[in-house]
Amino acid sequence: SLRSSVAPPPERPGERRTAEMKKLYGEDAAKIMAMEAAMQLTFERNCDRKQPKYWPVIPLKL
Amino acid sequence: SISSSAASESDSEQLQKEQHARSVLREGFLRCLLSMTNKKVQFQMYENVKVEATFGASDIDVLNFQVSDLHTPIGVQKEALIRCQDVISFTFDI
Amino acid sequence: MDCDWPLLGPLRWLHYVNKQVKVRTGKGDEHSGWLLSVDPVSASAVLLTFSETAASVRVVMGHAVKEVEVLREADEVTAERLRAALLPPSPPSLDP
Repeated sequence: SLRSSVAPPPERPGERRTAEMKKLYGEDAAKIMAMEAAMQLTFERNCDRKQPKYWPVIPLKL
Repeated sequence: SISSSAASESDSEQLQKEQHARSVLREGFLRCLLSMTNKKVQFQMYENVKVEATFGASDIDVLNFQVSDLHTPIGVQKEALIRCQDVISFTFDI
Repeated sequence: MDCDWPLLGPLRWLHYVNKQVKVRTGKGDEHSGWLLSVDPVSASAVLLTFSETAASVRVVMGHAVKEVEVLREADEVTAERLRAALLPPSPPSLDP
């Protein structure tokens, strides 16, 4: 087939991050990734819904 | 050789210890952020700025906090993002 | 202790957990409390202070931490209280 003769299989999305997380957290990587995914989802959903603006407008610490 | 395989074994043991420590610490911190949801949080920021807001969520890279009812020195901002780099510390009751 | 706090790494941060510490910030403020955790991503320190009736958490951002000094270790009762502090709220006890 094309795949086996030409190139390694393309990296699937998230694969790299999974590998990095595995390196950092070992056998607990899946648990930490699940907790992080839930939190990030809440953050993004809240931002979509509420459209918060940065305060202060200019960073205090540059 | 025996000594190098013993060394790599203790290397991997060390790595596992570090991974376990990291995951215990990260889980503790994520639980702390979760426990803040909908709580009144006081932020102490640079330039001697102190504000209070209702905590919503943090992004996982700890760069931004999404908050509501932010009491700033010049009024209330209903929805806001606070840059974590602007924050020195924050506190809430449990 | 004089250290570059954000660079210590998980094993050395873990050494401070469940100890009463004093955190000094670059701005010169001091915060004492029981160290519950250190975020390995941001190096932020989670401190618990409690009295008979109330408990509060202070998180000092990793970039602001200048110095962390160990004041004392937790006794059994305190250690138990620290373990319970960040757990999800437990269902009401069936005991009266």
